[in-house]
Amino acid sequence: MVAPIASDHAVRGSTLTLREVSHRFDLEGQPLPVLDRISLQVGRGEFVALLGPSGCGKSTLLRLVAGLDTPTAGALLTEGREIEAPDPSRVVVFQDPTLYPWRTVWSNVALGLEARGLLPTHRGRVEDALRLVGLTGFANAYPHQLSGGMAQRAALARALVNDPKLLILDEPLGQLDSLTRIAMQAELVSLWQRSNFTALLVTHDVEEALLLAGRVIVLSDRPARIKAEVLNSQPYPRHRGDPHFVELRREVFAHLGLDEAW
Amino acid sequence: MVAALAAFWPDRPETDWAYTGGFAIACGALALALALAAFAGVRFVAFQRLHRLSPWLFALALFLASWEAVTAKLGLLPLPFFPPPQAIVEVAIDDWRRLAEGIFASARLLATGYFLGAAAGFVTGVAIGWSRRAGYWIHPVLRFIGPLPATAWLPLAFFIFPSSFSASIFLIALATGFPVTVLTWSGVASVKSAYYDIARTLGATQRFLVLKVAIPAAMPHVFVGLFMGLGNSFAVLVVAEMLGVKAGLGWYLQWAQGWAAYANMYAALLLMAFLCSGLITLLFRLRDRLLSWQKGLVRW
Ligand SMILES: Nc1ncnc2c1ncn2[C@@H]1O[C@H](COP(=O)(O)OP(=O)(O)O)[C@@H](O)[C@H]1O
Ligand SMILES: [Mg+2]
Repeated sequence: MVAPIASDHAVRGSTLTLREVSHRFDLEGQPLPVLDRISLQVGRGEFVALLGPSGCGKSTLLRLVAGLDTPTAGALLTEGREIEAPDPSRVVVFQDPTLYPWRTVWSNVALGLEARGLLPTHRGRVEDALRLVGLTGFANAYPHQLSGGMAQRAALARALVNDPKLLILDEPLGQLDSLTRIAMQAELVSLWQRSNFTALLVTHDVEEALLLAGRVIVLSDRPARIKAEVLNSQPYPRHRGDPHFVELRREVFAHLGLDEAW
Repeated sequence: MVAALAAFWPDRPETDWAYTGGFAIACGALALALALAAFAGVRFVAFQRLHRLSPWLFALALFLASWEAVTAKLGLLPLPFFPPPQAIVEVAIDDWRRLAEGIFASARLLATGYFLGAAAGFVTGVAIGWSRRAGYWIHPVLRFIGPLPATAWLPLAFFIFPSSFSASIFLIALATGFPVTVLTWSGVASVKSAYYDIARTLGATQRFLVLKVAIPAAMPHVFVGLFMGLGNSFAVLVVAEMLGVKAGLGWYLQWAQGWAAYANMYAALLLMAFLCSGLITLLFRLRDRLLSWQKGLVRW
């Protein structure tokens, strides 16, 4: 378990507000609208999943939340303040693990602490995070020696070590084999329950969204609009075979326009 | 294999023994040592490395023997230009002081110029790769002046600089600096933007992005530049020594040629080959150490 850096346990999750956020890319002079007036309110410590077909603009939205890009229109706020630049309280686990090939797994995980000058006082957190994702034995390995799934787990550890207030997950389990994936889903939930951060998960996997999140936001094709919102107040751990779960899954598929298949 | 070694190696002194005594004895002793080592290889692992080298050693012995044969023994090649191997050994023994001074002078000049050039090139490359403003000002200068061979500056440099030593350092630094600059720059410019995104979301400062992300990511490119710069610096070193500095192996070469002392020339050439090859090896070692994280490095 990764212990918090700050001690104010109860209020560590942060709020997130999206107001009419729209975004456009320029593709060879042609405007490419990707996000269309997305409005969303995420409460402290909530677990929200964004579900949508690939290419609809989910990663783009997460980049805006992270502060890596600024939206063409609309505003993003956290704790009532506008998001203008990246901040270590909002940590992203990108779709692609992108570990630094010149660093060992250990120092990849230590990256955030090192960047903020916290490494000397918080070295233990790196080992904790590695243990959490099951990579203790690979601390001294280089990224090219890891499998895709292990690299993804290292990327998760690199995020968790920073004790984020808002954890932004961009299909972080996409490259894992199904067994590891199920284990990591359970691990994510218990992690979130213990540390109280706010979680924003992007996925195109309906079951994953429903297993993890309290609220599933269904997005349309590009440009992404919010099509529907499905609440899931079932307690954790959730079970795929549970009749209520099956019912929710049917509902989400219907919103995605796939009811025939189910 | 071991038996073959033992059988083949001792045949070297038989071609040589009739000529310069010292050389023959040295060859004989070497052959004996190698033969012993070959036998020892049966027992001791340490000597087994020699097995891999044995075809090469054999070829070398053959080369020396035929060289000996066509020069000293048969006189097939015109003498002043192609001295027998023992003449070179003689030079190395008689003139060792001047040769050692030459090596020292060359090494000092090369090291100073190379380090200055590499350091300046590295810093400039990072600056252009990182800062748009630095790129705006330096890039045109680089494009215009960079491709000019450093030796073209030679007359001007010897005129401007207070001593021929400092002028040569400038030239060597220039020759080294250009490839190092260009490759460092391209290395920094080609760093994946995702690397920066990661560090930025984790709270990295600009300083951290340059020192801990851009530079390490660019290192493979930087080393290509360092290798090219080293090659360039050798060329400039020899030219500068021949034309300006009255010291070093390049000057010794020139001097030996002036006196038609061809054996001395070969000796200097041989030493120069050792020096250059040694430095390249050193740079490879450094790279292997710093870039051990890379897959599939070329081994030198
Ligand atoms: N930097 C960019 N420049 C131009 N187009 C982009 C850029 N990033 C993403 N896009 C386009 O935006 C759309 C949405 O991309 P993305 O947000 O990555 O989708 P996903 O929902 O699969 O994460 C895609 O059509 C993609 O081609
Ligand atoms: Mg995506």
